[in-house]
Amino acid sequence: MKTPGEQVIESWFAKGGWEPFDFQREIWQRYRDGESGLVHSATGTGKTLAAWLGPVIDAIDDPKEGLNVLWITPLRALAADTTESLLRPLRELGLPLDVQLRTGDTTTAQRAKQAKHQPFALVTTPESLCLMLSQKDPQAVFGNLRCVVVDEWHELMSSKRGVQTELALARLRAYVPNLRTWGVSATLGNLSAAAETLVGTGGTASIVKGFSGKEIIIDSVLPESMRRFPWAGHFGTQMIPGVIKAIEESESCLVFTNTRAMAEIWFQQILDEKPEWKGVLGLHHGSLDREVREAVEMGLKLGKLRAVVCTSSLDLGVDFSPVDRVIQVGSPKGVARLLQRAGRSGHRPGAASRVTCVPTHAFEMVDIAAARESAMAGKVEAREGVMRPLDVLAQHLVTIAVGPGFDAEELYREVKTTRSYRDLTLSDWDWTLDFVVRGGESLRAYPEYRRVVRGEDGRYRVEDKDIAHRHRMSIGTIVSDAAMTVRYLGGSVLGTVEESFLSRLKPGDKFIFAGRPVQFAHIKDMTAYVKKVSSVQGAVPRWSGGRLPLSSELSQAIREELDHARNGELRSPEMQLLAPILELQARWSAVPASNEFLIERVESREGHHLFFYPFEGRLVHEGLAALCAHRISQHQKVTFTIACNDYGFELLSVTPIDIESEIERGLFSSRNLGPDILESLNSVEMAKRQFREIARIAGLVFQGYPGMNKSARQLQVSTGLLFDVFNRFDPENMLLQQAQREVLERQLEQSRLAVALTRLSESELILTTPERPTPMSFPILVDRLRETVTNETTADRINRLVDELELAASSLT
Amino acid sequence: MRTQLAGEEVEFRPDGTLLWPSQSTLFVADIHLGKGASFRSQGLPVPPGSTLATLEKLALSLDCGVQRLIILGDLWHARQGKTAEAVEQFLSWRSRVSVEILLVEGNHDRKSGQLPVGSDILTVPDGATVGPFRLRHEPEPQDDGHVLAGHLHPGYGLDGRGRQSMTVPCFWITPGATVLPSFGTFTGCSRIRPGESDRVILTTGTECREVPISRLTESSI
Repeated sequence: MKTPGEQVIESWFAKGGWEPFDFQREIWQRYRDGESGLVHSATGTGKTLAAWLGPVIDAIDDPKEGLNVLWITPLRALAADTTESLLRPLRELGLPLDVQLRTGDTTTAQRAKQAKHQPFALVTTPESLCLMLSQKDPQAVFGNLRCVVVDEWHELMSSKRGVQTELALARLRAYVPNLRTWGVSATLGNLSAAAETLVGTGGTASIVKGFSGKEIIIDSVLPESMRRFPWAGHFGTQMIPGVIKAIEESESCLVFTNTRAMAEIWFQQILDEKPEWKGVLGLHHGSLDREVREAVEMGLKLGKLRAVVCTSSLDLGVDFSPVDRVIQVGSPKGVARLLQRAGRSGHRPGAASRVTCVPTHAFEMVDIAAARESAMAGKVEAREGVMRPLDVLAQHLVTIAVGPGFDAEELYREVKTTRSYRDLTLSDWDWTLDFVVRGGESLRAYPEYRRVVRGEDGRYRVEDKDIAHRHRMSIGTIVSDAAMTVRYLGGSVLGTVEESFLSRLKPGDKFIFAGRPVQFAHIKDMTAYVKKVSSVQGAVPRWSGGRLPLSSELSQAIREELDHARNGELRSPEMQLLAPILELQARWSAVPASNEFLIERVESREGHHLFFYPFEGRLVHEGLAALCAHRISQHQKVTFTIACNDYGFELLSVTPIDIESEIERGLFSSRNLGPDILESLNSVEMAKRQFREIARIAGLVFQGYPGMNKSARQLQVSTGLLFDVFNRFDPENMLLQQAQREVLERQLEQSRLAVALTRLSESELILTTPERPTPMSFPILVDRLRETVTNETTADRINRLVDELELAASSLT
Repeated sequence: MRTQLAGEEVEFRPDGTLLWPSQSTLFVADIHLGKGASFRSQGLPVPPGSTLATLEKLALSLDCGVQRLIILGDLWHARQGKTAEAVEQFLSWRSRVSVEILLVEGNHDRKSGQLPVGSDILTVPDGATVGPFRLRHEPEPQDDGHVLAGHLHPGYGLDGRGRQSMTVPCFWITPGATVLPSFGTFTGCSRIRPGESDRVILTTGTECREVPISRLTESSI
């Protein structure tokens, strides 16, 4: 028996000549029964309507005043489009229900209006939701809430923003005990964990499967011969003619690159080849001004653009139906990622999704071949949530304290209902509470410190208006370098560039930004002013930000791919093309089988290089490299610089290393692994880097905001300096320990590291001494991103470096 | 490291101070007392200890037996940093060092309010002239003498073999001005770009080393 609401929906479908899919009906039914759950289905298969119409049916059958639905989207840029696609059926159904946006762009006036006349549904981001929770009376806002939908849950759940969302959901459930929570996700390797993270440990979630997706074609544009194809370098612009051909074959095309700098370069180079595409070729990345991005998105939707060069900024959301082909420049790095990007094309009924991979250097062809194998075999990566980050918890406590305040015991129980904090110990909780109240153990005696205050009623609150204001300005877990607005002299805003790039520029220097050549004029009030120039010679800004590591699934597939190639099985066009390079590698050194572990020793002007090839992905290599450097430095005074890629790592030193005896002494032994890694962290800057993120989230540093007054500027400090101050004056601080733990667990993936060591110690060791860098070592050799590991004193290192300068100076004069 | 500056013999010291022996004077810049406390008072939980450590370091520097200490600006970080405890630590330190102290007011000092009662420090808001030296906080060259200044927290970037690189606090000597490294324990440094006629003297903590700037730039032309 269908309810009136369901009948309305069914007849609306029928009027359009459609019928709801079974999985959609199933979800509406489950929703009506009060269930929560997770729906996973390929993009463009009706997930949104599945999750949305349940609450709409409910509103027809049992209307209720106030805010009924919260729709959480991971990207602010998606919020407007989502709002539109939620409004469309309401309009067609003639329902008097309103959907509004609530993001960082929502003005104070709009927010006030929303408070007075609550819409039926609000589309918001995790950060804006937390801001709403920091209002004095969230009960009044959320009291009538029936349902929360979390869109693209697979994107959110494995990040600290996911944890932030978990905490916010737990909070909402405290206001509305029978709240229904629905997640919308792409297919994951671990759906039940994803569902549990969504509803918390106290809830149950059903998992509803929609469509597993349409046909996906994965092909590649390959160089004609390997003779002039580079062994390294990540721009690969000689592939541009092939890419232009691929764009010409398609109607509308997304060209994904792995970094923003690369997007700028490719955009420029394609235009150089095809000047007539000016105006129909777009550029889209996260540092461009919102208006610029929106114009490009609109052009895509309307089918006005031939192609858009973009980064992960277009990974999610909005349907660009005209897009019929996706080009992936550079290694896809993971199977799920490749499939997600492929899914951005072929939204027309009956059309297939097509992704064309473009290698930018030789060994990326292995990545492409391996990713295709894994995708075809359905080996998609799992996503793991972040466990118990104390920095996010500290931020949450202050958020609630800024809002209605909290009772410590109640909030502890509530936080424990999230999957992330289910194993939170009382001592960690006490420390975090103490940290936000008194600044932690070391600040016990400092009355001037006050952030959260315990009132006479026992509730914790933030009483200081400035502190509350600064906290609200800093809510969030996305950390970026200080960015400066780039603006034309007396004109429009182009976007943002990191301060560190601008600080290296002199007035008059030219660079390429937002696809335009500009000349740097001056900096004023945190804005870099530039003017238009015609020349296109110039630097491209580099934006920092993690380089994507290869997933462990893909690493495994790559080892297998090389194994096949050794046996002469060249199963794909990519591997066939790579054959001569592999032959060269074998002649100069060796191509390791999957049960072999290759180490190369090379001497150059720069010093002594050791290249190790575990094929375990960048994250594991960073850990292994730090560990090896640390273990070697137990036996001699030495400074290493370390570089890693997804295939191996390099230890570079000025003095030679006797690697044979180091291996005999147990360089790769898994004995004493835990303590050794911890100690190795102290000699590397990794923990310092991780501390940057933690310090910002926990509210240790304040990033400032446009228009802040000068007295607030005194509070700005580099997290590197802060890290040193903590290490010297409060080395036991839990946030320092969290930085170490996060490096171990997330960056280095300690468990993967242990597995890798075991595998390596069982492998047959092959040590070669090539005369020159091999095809495999070359990409690592030229990598400029390096860590330093040292056990020399600072004074010794300075003296050695100055001695070198002296030597250089005297040899040249 | 002893050298001539504006015709006077001076000593660049590894702790980042500059000694003028003939006048029994020690120069220091950018001490930033109470920086940790000013962060704490704004709800940023920075551990305590940096102010005391800075004062102890300064007491050690004064062990060389000079009669006069000249601070080239930024003695205090901010008004909120002048907590009872920081002031007490400062005054106790002041009572132990029997030198005459001159403070060239820096941008941070200007916003930090009056010096604590009993500081026994002569403040000169617009700088001063002592012998051939023009004392300022911000290093703008002056017509009437060689400028001694701070403010920039200069550091020099060393890049060497094996792709090793570090930034080291330094003295930066240009034809018209000498900039001292920042002294406070809660201060950092930022890389400078010296011209070819400049001199750069690194402080390693235990010694001073000069970078052969002029010979490096000459040879690269």
